[in-house]
Amino acid sequence: MRPDACNGQLDSLILATVADEPAHGYAILQRLQQRSSGAFELAEGTLYPALHRLERDALLTSSWSTDSKRRRRIYDVTPAGRAALRKRRREWRRFSIAVEAVLG
Amino acid sequence: MNWLQILVEELAARGVPGRARHRIVLELRDHIACEPGCEERLGDPGALAGTFADELASARSRRSATNAFVALAVTALALAISLLTLGRIGYPGLNHGLTPALFWPALVGMFLAPQVALLSGTLAALRAVRRRGAIVLPAAELALIARRTRIALAAGLGTGAGMELYVLNFSQRLPSWWLGLTGGLGLATGGALICAWRSLDGAVRLRSSTPGPAGNIFDDLPVLRWRWLRARPWRLGVLAALLAGVTMAAFEAHAEHSLAEGVQRGIVEGLAAALGLAVLGRAIGVVTSPELLGGRPRDSVFALESGSGSLRVGDDDRLAAERVVRDGFARGQISLDELSERVSAIHAAKTLTQLRATLTDLL
Repeated sequence: MRPDACNGQLDSLILATVADEPAHGYAILQRLQQRSSGAFELAEGTLYPALHRLERDALLTSSWSTDSKRRRRIYDVTPAGRAALRKRRREWRRFSIAVEAVLG
Repeated sequence: MNWLQILVEELAARGVPGRARHRIVLELRDHIACEPGCEERLGDPGALAGTFADELASARSRRSATNAFVALAVTALALAISLLTLGRIGYPGLNHGLTPALFWPALVGMFLAPQVALLSGTLAALRAVRRRGAIVLPAAELALIARRTRIALAAGLGTGAGMELYVLNFSQRLPSWWLGLTGGLGLATGGALICAWRSLDGAVRLRSSTPGPAGNIFDDLPVLRWRWLRARPWRLGVLAALLAGVTMAAFEAHAEHSLAEGVQRGIVEGLAAALGLAVLGRAIGVVTSPELLGGRPRDSVFALESGSGSLRVGDDDRLAAERVVRDGFARGQISLDELSERVSAIHAAKTLTQLRATLTDLL
């Protein structure tokens, strides 16, 4: 798949990934790649500005974890983030149905 | 230097504050520790630092404009309370104060500065709200928002100072409860405005590098998008000054029960508005094009939207169009393939119609 295939959808993909279970940056990336069977080859660095942006928009919340040896920022979805995810899922389904209807 | 050290330097060079920088580095250090040797997949540290700085600058500029608007609303409320209560007591005459040297600056602060603050602060907040969905704003647009916000806050502080000077000038004439109320309100607004100024300071320290046009008042207020106004922005200044003058004349004629008094104050108001727009017009984005060529500003989106479609385009027009599609790509509006196709179409375009066709769903 083209590297820019998830262009514009990165925020939704992150929200969906974190919605299941709180995670740190590297774990989020791993889950994204596992779930997409490695289809999304995004530059790994782009994940962090997106995480910070989602937190600024109050869709994610984060805190330092004390569980591991290293300081680790753990992200979780806020209620507003879950609502945004539900809305984005609905929009994506409508969009994909429409594209499929055209492409056949 | 290793990847993380370069990132730290690049973040500092772009003005990312220490706390945010520390957090970014800790997160990426953890990422690298999870999979040693993955630095290449993280991408260019300079580009990553640029992304952080651009996004943070955009978010903070919008927030500073909104904070300033709230602080200015508090100032407006304080001024309204002060003037309404003064109206009930009765305005003291010019000659009943300590000195005209206090009276006139106080009058400018209480009556002219609020109008500058209202116009500039509203335009800053309007741009911030209108562009709230954009992940990254062009550096030129951030500079425009900062200028509008700074002018509005300075005028707001001028209003607070005007209230204090008025209190001082009439300290022996007006009741002490009004002096205390207005003096306290003036100080409170000063505090709110200084807090908003600090928020602006934090935003302007970040150095964004995103190319693109700043836009102008016609982008903020689509209702003004008449071609005869856009082609000559000074016409908007004249129209606004006339409107301000007529409104003031009508208000004062009614309040003072004197048409002559109303007309006199209306003329002063109109001239002050015209002067204000002439001095601050470029800074607040009423006029954006220093390079007016044949009545058509170049190197801006405006240049692409105005003018006859059959006009031949030049390199400046193509450059402006290319910035628009690159911004569209940065915002995720178009894919890499579409970007490539559109850039080719832009360079092949000979007329404005052909150029506009490449931007139809982006402007």
